[in-house]
Amino acid sequence: MSEEEKDPVWDKLAGWIGKPLTKGGPTLSPEDVNLPMIRHWIDAMDDRNPIYEDPEAAARIGLDSVVAPPAMLQAWTMPRPILEGIAERGGVPTEIDPDNPINILDEAGFAATLATNSELEFDRYLKPGERLTSESVLESVSKRKQTGIGTGYFVSWVNTFRDQDGEVVGRQLFRILKFNPGGTL
Amino acid sequence: MKPTLSFSSLQVGDAVKPLDVSLTATMIVAGAIASRDFMPVHHDKEFAISQGAPDIFMNILTTNGYIARFLSDWAGPGARVANIRIRLGVPAVPGHQLEFRGEILKLEENDGEGEVEVSVKVSNEMGDHATGTAMVVLST
Repeated sequence: MSEEEKDPVWDKLAGWIGKPLTKGGPTLSPEDVNLPMIRHWIDAMDDRNPIYEDPEAAARIGLDSVVAPPAMLQAWTMPRPILEGIAERGGVPTEIDPDNPINILDEAGFAATLATNSELEFDRYLKPGERLTSESVLESVSKRKQTGIGTGYFVSWVNTFRDQDGEVVGRQLFRILKFNPGGTL
Repeated sequence: MKPTLSFSSLQVGDAVKPLDVSLTATMIVAGAIASRDFMPVHHDKEFAISQGAPDIFMNILTTNGYIARFLSDWAGPGARVANIRIRLGVPAVPGHQLEFRGEILKLEENDGEGEVEVSVKVSNEMGDHATGTAMVVLST
């Protein structure tokens, strides 16, 4: 496909750049930042940094309470799953949002997904009792590309995480390749 | 408590203390569920294979969790991880040793804080699982 050739799939998706991927505003985390989930996490990763569970250790580095491991940022806002049918939904934890613009690619035959990049930024560490929201905005869509596994589009979005006062506490840029396995341009 | 690295003692090129994890299915499942990621590819081997994967594989949240641990195991409890920017590669699967390596790329002092930029390379015998950079902040 030459540069000049029209690509209606790209045009349709590009109209969403800079716009939220979900209707109805930011998603509220199902739970406050909390110690039981912190302990599950540090046990799963065997992360023995004492500031995640020992208030005295936290105090020794000048914190007024324990804090959550930074990489839990996204975990706080993960939706509570509906386990029944999760495999049939391709692993999507809840009902598929029919209005998500990324569906445009699935419908056009670029149904396979490969995660390619994650860029996490933590403005500060979070304390138990805080409650986050997250909002995903479409950041960019590449032109259709030929890759080693098929043709497709690199789609990037940014999740912005805010605390209960609306202050930004972190961001995650996420990039996926939506592709047609074995396809050619 | 383990001491925190002193910013003034660091030099570009210094290694981040290596971390090796002998990865098991239990660790992959524990990480997926602790991050509330119930995608079957992270706990159901039969489903993972049906999707073209060799086995269940680690979810991205767990990869980032281990990278944060790799950084704070080295830098100490007083260090703050400010960012983790990775490109994703081969899957992290049970039975393979996952090796975390890095070195200091850049040191910069800003408003009483020392910013330490490091490379991050997480690999197993199939290749690179994640490569990129991260930033750790120390007080100066």
